[in-house]
Amino acid sequence: MDIYLPIAEVSVNWPFLVLLGALVGFVSGLFGIGGGFLMAPVLVFMGIPPTVAVASQASHVVASSTSGVIRYSGMKAVDYRIGGIMAVGGALGALAGVEMFRYLRLLGQADLVVAVSYLVFLGLIGSMMLYESLTQILHRVRGETPPRKERRRPMWLYGLPFRMRFPRSGLYISAIPPFGLGVFAGILSAIMGVGGGFILVPAMLYVLRMRASVVVGTSLFQIIITTAVTTILQAGRNQTVDIVLSTILLLGGVVGAQFGAKLSGRFRAEEMRAALGLIVLLVGIQMGLELFVRPSDLFLLAPGVGD
Amino acid sequence: MFQALPPEPAPMVAPGTIERSVATEGEVRVAAALTDAQVEVDSSFRGASIVLYGAVFNPTDIPADVVVVVRGPDAPVRLVKKTRNMGVWLNSRPVLFEGAPGFYMTASTRPLSDVADFGQLRRLGVGVDHLRIDAPEESRTVTRYGVRDVVVSRLGEDYLDWRRAVIRLKEAAALYNTDPDGVQFVDKGLFRAEVELPTVAPTGKYYAEVWLFQEGAPVSVSNLTLTVEKVGLERDIYEFAHRRPWSYGVLCVLLAALTGYAASRVFRSR
Repeated sequence: MDIYLPIAEVSVNWPFLVLLGALVGFVSGLFGIGGGFLMAPVLVFMGIPPTVAVASQASHVVASSTSGVIRYSGMKAVDYRIGGIMAVGGALGALAGVEMFRYLRLLGQADLVVAVSYLVFLGLIGSMMLYESLTQILHRVRGETPPRKERRRPMWLYGLPFRMRFPRSGLYISAIPPFGLGVFAGILSAIMGVGGGFILVPAMLYVLRMRASVVVGTSLFQIIITTAVTTILQAGRNQTVDIVLSTILLLGGVVGAQFGAKLSGRFRAEEMRAALGLIVLLVGIQMGLELFVRPSDLFLLAPGVGD
Repeated sequence: MFQALPPEPAPMVAPGTIERSVATEGEVRVAAALTDAQVEVDSSFRGASIVLYGAVFNPTDIPADVVVVVRGPDAPVRLVKKTRNMGVWLNSRPVLFEGAPGFYMTASTRPLSDVADFGQLRRLGVGVDHLRIDAPEESRTVTRYGVRDVVVSRLGEDYLDWRRAVIRLKEAAALYNTDPDGVQFVDKGLFRAEVELPTVAPTGKYYAEVWLFQEGAPVSVSNLTLTVEKVGLERDIYEFAHRRPWSYGVLCVLLAALTGYAASRVFRSR
């Protein structure tokens, strides 16, 4: 049941990869995230070179996000206007991120930066989401009325120029914050091999204060564009996209994403956020551990000779 | 990304044959062949095992040792060392080692150190310890104690640790292998050895040398070649990805988006 991957140049068990794709796709559809941050560590653990893993799973993210967006679009839960602005920023960010990643590989510091970004971003976002959702759940269990939410958006959202109307999100704000958010997600997408949904979703909820019902669909839409650009750039500049690997992953992924999206309506929003926060936090800690644990071999092969 | 093929190395010639008298020349000889001189990497490739067999013509009474050396295409190795800074393990700057083959194995009738002495092995470049692995970018020449052009490495005293790490990491990936009794005589004068190629073995041209040693000196050598290449779909995909990388990337994205679209259509109709 093994198959040889032409670009990664290793042979892997393909039924396991289909299953992995389905599982990550399920999580992706359920929470409205790309799910890349879950997949990359598993692929590397299977012996696939990290650079190939990061680049190939980006196209898996494209597939599962596409099927997710089509679903959410049917429910009128995608704001294409704000998503488009974020996507333009995301594409530019990806462009910069791929070049940064090349440079870091040359310096031999790519895996350090990947580990630090996983630890910092996933750890931070994960604990914030966990804290916020657990407080809400606690309030509900005790039967207290939740404290009134701060519905006011930060004033600087209004002070900036280029204000636009986004009727689906219920916003009339400057185009600069969503654009900047897109750039940031694009850079992360190239370096960490993720769509950036785990950053985008909370930022859209808590900073931009978008209407909660459109957040997931819009973030998936932005992720499609960003990861598509990342995939093309990784293939063109680094030749690290393995089409066989990504096809196997996405076959499972699209099916899993459909089930995930169907199921997502059945849970309370704060329970979903608590579960996602926990997953994000655990992955962040797991990836960050390598910074503190004594490595089994002090020497390490650094990729990137061919450049 | 396609690298120009390196010039083919000159076939190994056993030193000393020229000085021998005409009467004895060619008497002690080794001949060898591979069961499979072409390894094809396709979607079911999971490494390969190739048998090398050969014959020793030894009319003399002096016992002979056979040493088989298989060397894959050269691949420079970049290595970093983890160092602890304020409780955090960080990478050092990468060091480039050249002259390391992508695959290297030796098989012999006895441990190499018993077959020939250090100098002899070093001269022939036989054995993992005698590979010409070097970090040329790190070295510079200085004048020391009045001696000019002394080569020192910026890695200083750690140099040997670095070099050993290259070999250790390659051995861990089954790319380097030393088998002190990998050459087995199946009959008088007839021997066999196995070449185990792991899945990660680089593609390209491999060179095999079969040495015959007598009393610690090489008396005969046989040169063989072996090619490992991707075939069929594997080759087409690899070449497409490297020759037309941008169209390849666009194709990957289109494929992904179409699959996602198709899946959502299938699920909606249910």
